[in-house]
Amino acid sequence: MTTPALQEKFQILVDEHKKILYKVCYSYCRNRDDREDLAQEIIVQLWRSFASFDGRCRFSTWMYRIALNVAISFYRRESTRTRHVLSDDEKVLNAIDETENRSAEMQALYEFIDGPEPLNKALILLYLDGNSYSEIADVVGITETNVATKISRLKQTMREEFRA
Amino acid sequence: MLDLDQMKQQWAEHDRKLEEMIRLNRQLLSMTNLNGARSALQRMAAFLGVGAIVWFAIVAALGSFIYANIGIPRFALPAGLLDVFAIAMLSANIRLMATARQIDYAQPVTSIQKQLANLRRLRIRITQWALIAGTVVWAPAAIVACRALLGIETYSVAWLLANVVFGLSLIPLSLWASKKFGDRMGQSPFMQQLMNDIAGRNLTKAQNFLAELSEFESETT
Repeated sequence: MTTPALQEKFQILVDEHKKILYKVCYSYCRNRDDREDLAQEIIVQLWRSFASFDGRCRFSTWMYRIALNVAISFYRRESTRTRHVLSDDEKVLNAIDETENRSAEMQALYEFIDGPEPLNKALILLYLDGNSYSEIADVVGITETNVATKISRLKQTMREEFRA
Repeated sequence: MLDLDQMKQQWAEHDRKLEEMIRLNRQLLSMTNLNGARSALQRMAAFLGVGAIVWFAIVAALGSFIYANIGIPRFALPAGLLDVFAIAMLSANIRLMATARQIDYAQPVTSIQKQLANLRRLRIRITQWALIAGTVVWAPAAIVACRALLGIETYSVAWLLANVVFGLSLIPLSLWASKKFGDRMGQSPFMQQLMNDIAGRNLTKAQNFLAELSEFESETT
């Protein structure tokens, strides 16, 4: 496949799955400029890896893996990073900072996801997004049983917190 | 407060709204932008590549200096010691670069995060050892540089000892300064990273993250 054709395919696929990009960025960054920086880093990494995407797994699984790997690394080095403000033309997702469009419930949901450490955050995000335990296991790299145990423990913790 | 399954239903509702709410900046996804951009790991590999070129040039220059001074042990020996240090630094740069290039972000999260944490740990250890060794090789470096660049002979046992002692005394001093001021270097991320590397904070963080990853992978915890 020629590079322009590959790029066209890439653009279509990323556009179809742009919600993954949005949700990962929102879950890992509270700061608006950081979210844009992260979105760009994810796009760059997706493009760099796209030539080796062989279709053996679903595009969404592949995209989740890359987006979450970049986001966790970004999150971990965030404190030592130089921040820069982007112009509108430099923004990957034009509505990525539309917090005003979000309901109070959604704000609470993102705040809930913001709480746990980066690995559990990935787990919650994948679960809320409707992925099966097998798909979550595939993205995160742990067994299906382990996913089930962790999700069940998270539910338990939430119930206990609710009771308290 | 909602439970996780109620949250899941709300999330699905949010997901439907998102489709209309967000637009992808296709212009930014143009070939020029995509091909010109570098990921964080590529930037690191490029930085290490430049470092490897510099160390290779130093190794070559030292080789030439040793050849020219082969009959004068007081110059050939310090140059030989420096050459060992430069070769070690060159190998370390190449090893880090090769490890960074092998990382495939499309692999599962725990596997890649483990590789990245190991890479970070290796980079920090190399930085720490380079700084410790650097304080010791400072004296032979001064002898070789004065001879090669200025034609001056600075060699004397007292001078050599004084410089080794000075270099060694810099180790606790830099450790103290890094521990004390490392966290206050927010304006310079590079300096902050270097000082936290020296102080061992970044190494502890990398090791803690590796432990966190093992715990996450374990089914019993």
